[in-house]
Amino acid sequence: MPGSVALFIWCLGTLLELCFVVCSLVRKSFVRYFFLNLYFILSILTSAIRFLTLNAYGDSSEQYIHAYFYTDALLTLGLFVALISLYSHVFGELGFSKQIRYGAVLLLLGTAAFSYGVVRESEARLATKFAYELSQNLYFVGLVLTYILWGAVLKLREARARLVQFILSLGLYFSAYAASYALVNLADKFSVIRYLSQLLACLLPLSWSITMLRHTEDSRIATAPLVAVPR
Amino acid sequence: MSRKLGTLVLAMGILVGAMGLKTVLTAHANGTVLMANNPAPFPDIKQKPKPAPVQPGRN
Repeated sequence: MPGSVALFIWCLGTLLELCFVVCSLVRKSFVRYFFLNLYFILSILTSAIRFLTLNAYGDSSEQYIHAYFYTDALLTLGLFVALISLYSHVFGELGFSKQIRYGAVLLLLGTAAFSYGVVRESEARLATKFAYELSQNLYFVGLVLTYILWGAVLKLREARARLVQFILSLGLYFSAYAASYALVNLADKFSVIRYLSQLLACLLPLSWSITMLRHTEDSRIATAPLVAVPR
Repeated sequence: MSRKLGTLVLAMGILVGAMGLKTVLTAHANGTVLMANNPAPFPDIKQKPKPAPVQPGRN
């Protein structure tokens, strides 16, 4: 069984995810940001499944390993769909909805094919390794997609505060995830590194909940000062 | 160039860029697995010790 710090971070993260869903309902934005809410609802259900498996079999059991990697692949897929929904919010008014859907399906199929190509030689745990590889690859696709979306937001002078904050938070989250690879390699011996990925998972629901609470749908923000370099 | 072809080229470009970035970042990785989707504790993946081979003639 994991330590009390790990369990505390897990509870905190799940509460923050629940907080975002509740804030969306209270602010009457649940349908507008349905896929962001769906991602967090899936994550809460995942926490319940993982907790039951962990409690019944322990953290080194085959059952928990399978439950962990399969649900993680499902969650990454949910996050990918949430990101595509943000694309639809930004580009929808320009009449690019069809191309976005087409591109998203192509990217997903391409990533799945690439992931299968990497793990197909494995003899043992092929399905689990595929789920893990797909999850990792989709993270990096998400990272690139978020940077492109941020570029588009700046170019199109998108002013909707919530949308801008959601995209910025997502960019920060993906970038922190990528940077954590380097940090883990540098300082693997420190025990605090063990909690890094857990803490990262709390970052997204926290920043999105704050955005949902602070801004209304009518709030506007100028994106130019966000990238302006002071002289 | 049609919109469909443009989307296809863009999607493939993104995929190549993402996989390239992953290769660069994980080139010197020490095998540590990071997952950041959900704050659940990471499973304890350790090789279980293989059972000692049974030697014939011993009870």
